[in-house]
Amino acid sequence: MDLVIEHLSKTYPNGHQALKDVSLSIPQGMFGLLGPNGAGKSTLMRTIATLQEADEGSIRLGDIDVLRDKEEVRKTLGYLPQEFGVYPKVSAQDLLDHFAVLKGVVNGRERKELVKALLEQTNLWHVRGKKLGSFSGGMRQRFGIAVALIGSPRLIIVDEPTAGLDPEERVRFLNLLSELGEKSIIILSTHIVDDVSELCPRMAIINGGRILLEAKPEEAIEKLRDRVWQKAIRKDELQAHAEQDSHISHKLKLGNVVVRALSDVAPGPGFEPDSADLEDVYFAAMARDRRSQTSQAAAATEAVGGAA
Amino acid sequence: MRTFLSVVAFELRYYLTRISTWVYFGIYFTLAMFISALLAGAIPGSSASVLGGGGAVHLNAPFNCTILVISTFLMSGIFVIAAVSGNAVYRDFEAEIHPLFFTTPVGRLTYLGGRYAGAVIVNVIVLSAIPIGVFISFLMPYMDEEKMGPLVPWWCAQPFLVIVVPNVIFMSAIFLALAAKTRQMLPNYLGGIVMLMGYITARQLVGEPEKETLAALLDPFGFSAMGDVFRYWTPVEKNTMLVGFEGNVLWNRLIWMGVGLAIFGLVLAFFRFAHFTTDRARKRTYVAALEDWAASAGAVARRVALPVVVIQFGAGTRLRQVVASTWRAFAGIVTNVYFYAITGIAVVVIPFFASVTGSIYGTATWPVTYGIIDALGGLFALVTVVVIVLYAGELVWRERDVRVAQVHDALPIPTWIPLVSKFAALVLVVALLQCVFIGAGVGVQAARHYYRFELGQYATSMLGFGMIKWVELCALVFLIHVLVANKYLGYLISVLYFLGSPWLAEIGLQHVLEIYGSDTGWSYSDMNRYGPYIGPWAWLRLYWGLWAVIMALACNLLWVRGQEASFSWRMRMARARASRPVRIIAALTVVAALGVGGFIFYNTNILNTFRTSYQGEEIQARYERDYKQYENLPQPRIIASTVHVDLFPRRGAAMAKGEYRLVNKTAVAIETLHVQVPAEAEVHELEFEPPATLEKDDAELGYRIYRLAAPLEPGAPLACRYEIGFERRGFANSGPDTLIVENGTFVNSGVLPSFGYSEQGEIADNDTRKKHDLPAKERMHAVDDAVGRQNTYISRDADWVDFECMVCTDPDQLAIAPGYLEDEFTEGDRRCFKYAMDAPIFHFEAFLSARYEVARDSWNDVAIEVWHHPTHSWNVQRMIQSVKDGLDYYTKNFGPYQHRQVRIVEFPRYYGLFAQSFPNTIPFSESIGFIARLEDEAKDLDYVYYVTAHELAHQWWAHQVIGGNVQGSTLLSESLAQYSALMVMEHEYGQAQMRKFLRYELNSYLTGRSAERHEELPLVRVENQPYIHYNKASLVFYSLKDYIGEDTLNQGIRNFLAKTKWQQPPYTNSLELVQEIRAVTPPEQQYLIEDLFETITLWDLRAKKATVVKTAEGKYELTLEIEAKKLRADGNGAETEIPLDMPIDVGAFLQGPSSESFDDEPIVVEKQRIVAGRNVVKLLLEKKPDRAGIDPYNKLIDRDPGDNLTGVEDAPSS
Repeated sequence: MDLVIEHLSKTYPNGHQALKDVSLSIPQGMFGLLGPNGAGKSTLMRTIATLQEADEGSIRLGDIDVLRDKEEVRKTLGYLPQEFGVYPKVSAQDLLDHFAVLKGVVNGRERKELVKALLEQTNLWHVRGKKLGSFSGGMRQRFGIAVALIGSPRLIIVDEPTAGLDPEERVRFLNLLSELGEKSIIILSTHIVDDVSELCPRMAIINGGRILLEAKPEEAIEKLRDRVWQKAIRKDELQAHAEQDSHISHKLKLGNVVVRALSDVAPGPGFEPDSADLEDVYFAAMARDRRSQTSQAAAATEAVGGAA
Repeated sequence: MRTFLSVVAFELRYYLTRISTWVYFGIYFTLAMFISALLAGAIPGSSASVLGGGGAVHLNAPFNCTILVISTFLMSGIFVIAAVSGNAVYRDFEAEIHPLFFTTPVGRLTYLGGRYAGAVIVNVIVLSAIPIGVFISFLMPYMDEEKMGPLVPWWCAQPFLVIVVPNVIFMSAIFLALAAKTRQMLPNYLGGIVMLMGYITARQLVGEPEKETLAALLDPFGFSAMGDVFRYWTPVEKNTMLVGFEGNVLWNRLIWMGVGLAIFGLVLAFFRFAHFTTDRARKRTYVAALEDWAASAGAVARRVALPVVVIQFGAGTRLRQVVASTWRAFAGIVTNVYFYAITGIAVVVIPFFASVTGSIYGTATWPVTYGIIDALGGLFALVTVVVIVLYAGELVWRERDVRVAQVHDALPIPTWIPLVSKFAALVLVVALLQCVFIGAGVGVQAARHYYRFELGQYATSMLGFGMIKWVELCALVFLIHVLVANKYLGYLISVLYFLGSPWLAEIGLQHVLEIYGSDTGWSYSDMNRYGPYIGPWAWLRLYWGLWAVIMALACNLLWVRGQEASFSWRMRMARARASRPVRIIAALTVVAALGVGGFIFYNTNILNTFRTSYQGEEIQARYERDYKQYENLPQPRIIASTVHVDLFPRRGAAMAKGEYRLVNKTAVAIETLHVQVPAEAEVHELEFEPPATLEKDDAELGYRIYRLAAPLEPGAPLACRYEIGFERRGFANSGPDTLIVENGTFVNSGVLPSFGYSEQGEIADNDTRKKHDLPAKERMHAVDDAVGRQNTYISRDADWVDFECMVCTDPDQLAIAPGYLEDEFTEGDRRCFKYAMDAPIFHFEAFLSARYEVARDSWNDVAIEVWHHPTHSWNVQRMIQSVKDGLDYYTKNFGPYQHRQVRIVEFPRYYGLFAQSFPNTIPFSESIGFIARLEDEAKDLDYVYYVTAHELAHQWWAHQVIGGNVQGSTLLSESLAQYSALMVMEHEYGQAQMRKFLRYELNSYLTGRSAERHEELPLVRVENQPYIHYNKASLVFYSLKDYIGEDTLNQGIRNFLAKTKWQQPPYTNSLELVQEIRAVTPPEQQYLIEDLFETITLWDLRAKKATVVKTAEGKYELTLEIEAKKLRADGNGAETEIPLDMPIDVGAFLQGPSSESFDDEPIVVEKQRIVAGRNVVKLLLEKKPDRAGIDPYNKLIDRDPGDNLTGVEDAPSS
């Protein structure tokens, strides 16, 4: 059973177009949705999670029309939103139990076992009686996962779960996610490339509401093999390098700037070939997108100028 | 200082550039304009017109300015202060920007002080919209120019500066402190509620003379202290004076500003910048994280096999989910400290409210259950509304507030589950609150040793009747929150709804179908239970209940689920959510609501007539316009009345079949007969002998004109046979017809046909008359007007009549009417009583029927009976004793009693709170004497005894002698009855109780004259003004008795009665009484007649200083310095000083006399000659006095009775 998104568009009342003709096909297993802040990830996630309406397009989960038949989707949905609070004065066990009731687990004995298993799996069993208000960010995210997992949903949506977690917590959280298995469709949105590279057999890159790339990470990296170059430059040289078409990214390294470029041949003197990674895939897609936006904008300006 | 100023400037910039500041300003400006226009009667179709008591008070009098400014402020002004001042610090916490501020080198005094100063200035600016709005409204063309005085801006500004600005200063401090301490806004709104409660509690105590100072100081708004000052203001004073910043007003303001600053100071002292969250919360997080880390460090996530669970989405699951969610929401509220705070506040103030339950002359009534519910109902309702508004918002926004909404919204539950659970939780909370109130009510009863708790009545009234209404309101508030989808706007609209809905009636929306949740009202009576009120009430509940269902459905369709909060998206989703069953239910509910509404309309507008109060006035106006021309048309007079009254208590119906014998007592032939029958009566027969034909039938007014076949010559007789029926037809907008009720019917002869135009049917209030284009009401006939004296002041178509009647009722009831029982029989399911009078009586009869218990006794040959509800036997013996003592005193001092019987008969409280004297029959309301609670003879005023004596005295004063329809005639009935009762009471209870009684009378008189709408008149020319003919008359007669002696005064009264008893027209007048009194008054005291009866005279007596020295003989010489003045007032209260030279009591006391206990025996009280200005009186005493002064018992009318006594100091030993 796949999740098939076709031509999904969404414009907010303030005119911001959050999704532009998004089409994706997501099979079972972990799917990474990678994009910068404001790319439309959360809009897409919320739309799949039945919390937001689309202007156009369709989403189908197997034979369920997600946009119409929300009730059916919710019966098999686990959702961990990006912004996620808890009732501060309720214990983890208590609230999880309540959510289990709301998810349709009515048998008390079963529910008790389920809650215990979930808290154990998310490593929260030992703090089960603590008030949620006292949980740290990572604990809270794990609790969110526990909620999402109630009732073994076929569709699990995890929106930016690692944002704001310290490195150790992040690792533990990703470990947890990795255990979720392959029986469900798990969509993980993130702006951290490593999240995807460590976990996801499939991924998509989204920016400005459009899907820039949909691929398996290793295949995408494979496509860049032998085409990634890198060079250490001075800071004042950055401007010139960044304007080149081949430029994909730069980062600071011990006071110098290391720029990376994508090119079949060395893009200039001093460039050394380097092995490609998922970050290059991401930055290449972003750079390509940025350039096409700029040229489109330029074309539009010209068109306006011509008309005048 | 520079930083401080820049913090203030920052605050001002912040607020003054925000729209909300100016929205508040606009709201208050509009409110001020609106209230001012409404109270000035400038809104068309509105019947409101209450400013300053109207009459001679200018619309823009300083008094009215004060009332307008303060009442507008009271409308939620405190919540603006709470919002602005709280936000001054809360916004930093909310935006989580406080660390930025706290790390700047700004001290906390500068930070908090600057914020505080800014908030005060902003609040003052926002609220200055009120005086500005009031002032501008005076410039509007719709203000009646004739009623405007000079325009003085200061009159609007002064109350703002004296009341509102100090309120801002101390309330801002408290709110800012609360927000700084708790870092939440909710406590601020609760704080606002607490202060409102303080205000309302203080208002409860106003009017209890003993508690006024407490009330004045307790009121955090300062308004009660102000009311204390202008309580006795006359129209002239209202037009010219402002309440100064002095006395209790000043003390009140200082106390509360002190409280505010103290709280602010505490916060300054303890406010710490450093903390992001509270210590405890941070520690908890740390501990939890540490535990988590310890437990899972190095642990690799384990794959735990999740147990397989069955997931069900059937009806059983839904039920479980509703129950679980409801319980969770309910528990969330009732385990929260705020719920305890609100409930606790209510419970704490309950004793204040209950302390004055139904007390009359300071004497408590038994705390019967309906009395408790009535007395506390307002408080309960207020708290309940607060809880509904507060928690409806909290519940609707719960998930969004804690940011769990997205998780929650994606759960596999239908949208109605959270809605229904939240709604149910709120209803449970309200129900729990009602249970707490019931517990408090029972507690109050038990605390007063009253153990007949009537839990069933509590449950019916509060959990039954009350709850249904609350549930409807819950639905409305939910809908508001769902619709506006903005929490604070939702709160604002809800609050405005509750504040505004009472005003809707004022602008003419008075039909029960027009305002959500309104009904025809209900009243409980021990005699008749909920009586006929239940039916119409239930229909209205059903009607609004159906609308509540529709609202709930709308909530369900528009419920925000997910991210799409815009209205257009929600409308689209609503269409999708509106499944077939939903549409069908909605359609059926609408149809049912329309059907029930139609049925109600049929009842209120077709079976009965609906009129707004304005339309009602219009009918009255038409009566005057069309028929005033016949006012002096000669009409025959009734000389005998025989009537058969058939009461059907269960059906609410009655039939009256009777015959009048009339005579043309005038000197001219009568051609037409003008007959009035109540418009709601059905006339089956109305025939005359000699015959007359119906010429005009004005059914709307029940006015008929018959033309006699041949003119009725002077002295010729006429018979009138009539049969009229009354039947309760459904229910009217104003409630069910209570003319005939199941148990406790009380109708009087006013419902029977009468003759001639009645001036009493006219609109009396001149402002109202003006609205209906009527000229100012003509004054009552002058005291010696010959035309007026042709009628008594009560009746216009009879003098003394022979009376006989048969009253039939249900077999388990007793029926009673004036006269002696001649026959009683039961025929089928009718039980009939035949009563006949053996001598002519004043034509004023009553017919009562109920399941009575009768207590009997006798005095000489007079049988005494008290017909009472079986459980109301507490005070029956007192009534009997009062009748005995009254008969004793009156026969001895005034003349014989004309009947062989005195019967007191109880009636249900919704006919009114009064007793009324008919020939040998005295109907007495169940809620005055019957449930009075007299325990401490020394303390409690026995008003049961007094009211009984007063009504009995009417058997002389009204039923033996009655004044003509001229000024002063109520002096002959009400005032003489009042004096008679006072004397009986004094002989039974002694002077001590009199002092307390007269203190109440003085207060009522001074308050009454302050609210006078026309003109205050001297007692001898009183125009049916109760504060004069009851309250002033008590003081006048007691004073006169004190000066000329009881026997002398009674001699004069006895002479008057002897001359006027049973007289035929022209009827006597007050001048004749005063003449008799004058005749017995010694020459040197004649001035009293002028001071007390013929003018409005006030004394201003004050003890300035009292010093005492011990004499060589071991006695005490008291030197008393007294200021005295005698004043004459005109009808508007303008005073001029006149010479004073008369003996007045001076006295010295060991203590007191306090009003708490009446029996402080004086060391000496004696009359001393007092002149205007400073007097020094020396008294030689046996004991050392503690207090001394002039007129200690307030026998003379003094506007400031409190300063008559002063503490005694030891004279400096020189």
